[in-house]
Amino acid sequence: MIALLRLLIFGGIALGVVYLGLSWYFRAAHRERMERDWEAAGRPGNREAYVAEGMAQYARSLRRRLLWLVFVLPVTAVGLIVWITNFN
Amino acid sequence: MVYVKWGLRAIFWIAVLAFLHYTLPQHDIARITDTYEKRVNPGENALFWSNAATGENVNATERDVFFIQTFLTDDDPMIYRNEDTGWGWPPYFKFDTANLQAEASDHLSKKSAEAAQWVAIRHYGWRNEFLSIYPNAISLWAVEGPEARIVPWFNIVVLTLLAAAWWAIRVRWNRFWERRGQPEGGEWREAAE
Repeated sequence: MIALLRLLIFGGIALGVVYLGLSWYFRAAHRERMERDWEAAGRPGNREAYVAEGMAQYARSLRRRLLWLVFVLPVTAVGLIVWITNFN
Repeated sequence: MVYVKWGLRAIFWIAVLAFLHYTLPQHDIARITDTYEKRVNPGENALFWSNAATGENVNATERDVFFIQTFLTDDDPMIYRNEDTGWGWPPYFKFDTANLQAEASDHLSKKSAEAAQWVAIRHYGWRNEFLSIYPNAISLWAVEGPEARIVPWFNIVVLTLLAAAWWAIRVRWNRFWERRGQPEGGEWREAAE
């Protein structure tokens, strides 16, 4: 059981790092896109408010939530491999 | 310096390829001639033996390991070990070692047999006589004959995904440093001109 615990802890840490890294990267990329959008749209109103609005939309978006696949996919893969290797 | 740089790159890529070659599953078509159990005492080659904590004591220095003795289609002998990998590395999550041994002993087929029974053996690892290391059999199933071919879909998918991830990171990395190298202008540039 120690081995399973070790896998869960270190795997969790590794996936957490990937999740945080990707979420930071995607958020930064979205912010940059919002800033470019603001200029392309002819600089409507306050820049900060425009970007903040875009980021709030992003926080609710499906694309943002798909990032949970970082956890879901590996866990599914492990379950699938356990089944294929041992019970198939 | 150029030689050092390329030398280091070559070492890095050889290490990556060796790691993948050792870890990813491969399939052999073989004829099982015997199955046995042998006491092993991993020493310098301990890295190539798995000692998964699937219930038993991992601190014992000696243990019995199942082996599957086969002949490949080119009539060369190949011996597999049959060990649990448990929850450890490589991630095959194999716990059914004893079941696999039973399946293996159910498919025995000697050279003298009237109709040889061929099996596909999924395994990872290397056989090396100098180090006394053996590939670890993961699963096996009966196939029609020695010409059976198995398309390595799993490896195709994994290698494609790895290449895609490597490419995605590399492109962004390069773009990042290119942007750094070319200042967009601003007061520092104006001051220098």
